[in-house]
Amino acid sequence: MLGRDARDRRERCKTGIEGLDNILNGGVPRGNTVLVTGSVGTGKTSLCLEFLVHGSNSNEPGLYVSVTEPCDKLLKNIIPYDFFDESLITDGKLHFIDLPIVYERLGLEKAEFDFEEVAILISAIASIVHELGIKRLVIDSITSVCYRLKSQENIRDFILKLGSVLSEMGCTSFLVSEISPAEERYSLYGVEEAIADGVIVTGNLERRGDLLRTLQVVKMRGTMHSRAKYVLDLTTVGVLLVPLLKGGSVAGGG
Amino acid sequence: MTTATQIAEKLDALPESSAVALKIRGEQYFDVIRGILDIFAKKKEMDSIYVTATIPCQSIMNALQVLEIDTERIWFVDCISQIMMSVGEKHPHAIYVESPTMLENLMLKVEYLIRRAEGKKKLVILDNINSLAIHNNIKILSEFLHILVNNLRSKNTYTIIFSMEEYETDEMTNMLNLVCDESMTLEGG
Repeated sequence: MLGRDARDRRERCKTGIEGLDNILNGGVPRGNTVLVTGSVGTGKTSLCLEFLVHGSNSNEPGLYVSVTEPCDKLLKNIIPYDFFDESLITDGKLHFIDLPIVYERLGLEKAEFDFEEVAILISAIASIVHELGIKRLVIDSITSVCYRLKSQENIRDFILKLGSVLSEMGCTSFLVSEISPAEERYSLYGVEEAIADGVIVTGNLERRGDLLRTLQVVKMRGTMHSRAKYVLDLTTVGVLLVPLLKGGSVAGGG
Repeated sequence: MTTATQIAEKLDALPESSAVALKIRGEQYFDVIRGILDIFAKKKEMDSIYVTATIPCQSIMNALQVLEIDTERIWFVDCISQIMMSVGEKHPHAIYVESPTMLENLMLKVEYLIRRAEGKKKLVILDNINSLAIHNNIKILSEFLHILVNNLRSKNTYTIIFSMEEYETDEMTNMLNLVCDESMTLEGG
């Protein structure tokens, strides 16, 4: 079993988001599979895109696998980051792939995948990661992929095997999970958070009529980290984070 | 010595990136603004971030124009216009926070302005603590000031917190004494 020092010596994949790297004591342990979960409009996609862009800027090629929204549309709505240059895409440092196109090419057009088809999908993603030398991967969203896997066994198998293959290649992955605001668990199927190495939760907090965007790291294997809740802002200089003020006035928070 | 030069000299005598609680009276307000923005910040070649929780930034900008103070290096975080439903045309040097109760967002906007002009020396003015106390309880306000001031100090940024003498309570005095390096009052009117 690894001690505290050994855990903190694990090589880090700096997200480039200063606040998050501080929360994580230097960054995500390299090779970890992290579930980024939250309801709509809480900043999951922006957080993941920034993680990829910072990686691409520091010679860690990134791949964004879009499952629901076409990449063209996504790119049109991207925050005009001061540190993002479209040459990252043309130079092959940052890649965008629509998963439905991959499904089509693999002949996986059924509404429900069986065990064998799950293996084909994992193998296809692993091949792309290997061929393009990807070091940072985002799948947005894993919930949409899981929708075709149906059973908890298939979902567990998919995330476990995919995480393992990517980790062996030194690839750090963010899997986006969509949940409804009232949800008390971190994923739709309830198994994703148990398999992932880390869980980052984004949310909306209503306090006396004000709506704040929040972020909390509830789990991250391989590093000590803060488990406190932070307030985030999505800006052109990237995601900014400050501690959530308690002050005896947070509803339900004491 | 005028109030403007008096405040500029007092600030100049402080160590770099000090946090100052500045107790002022209403009639000293414009002289204080001139002393900080037109004399002290200009001399030190600093960008100024002016957080207003009292009057809309447009009114302050109008006043600065009348005083013939150059606003090129002054940026505003306005947390009062939106709650008053009076933003109107947005000024390119202003960022708006929905309400003075959103203290975290206020910190985030200040952080954003600091990051956007990284490398330049900066001064943050918080105008004023009494207005923020109308909208927030003293516990959350103390926590906010503690985090804000320490964060700015770590970024080598000056912090000046205005407090209107006639509205300052003992609780506020204690809070300001706790988070600031220096507490200043000005002589004369």
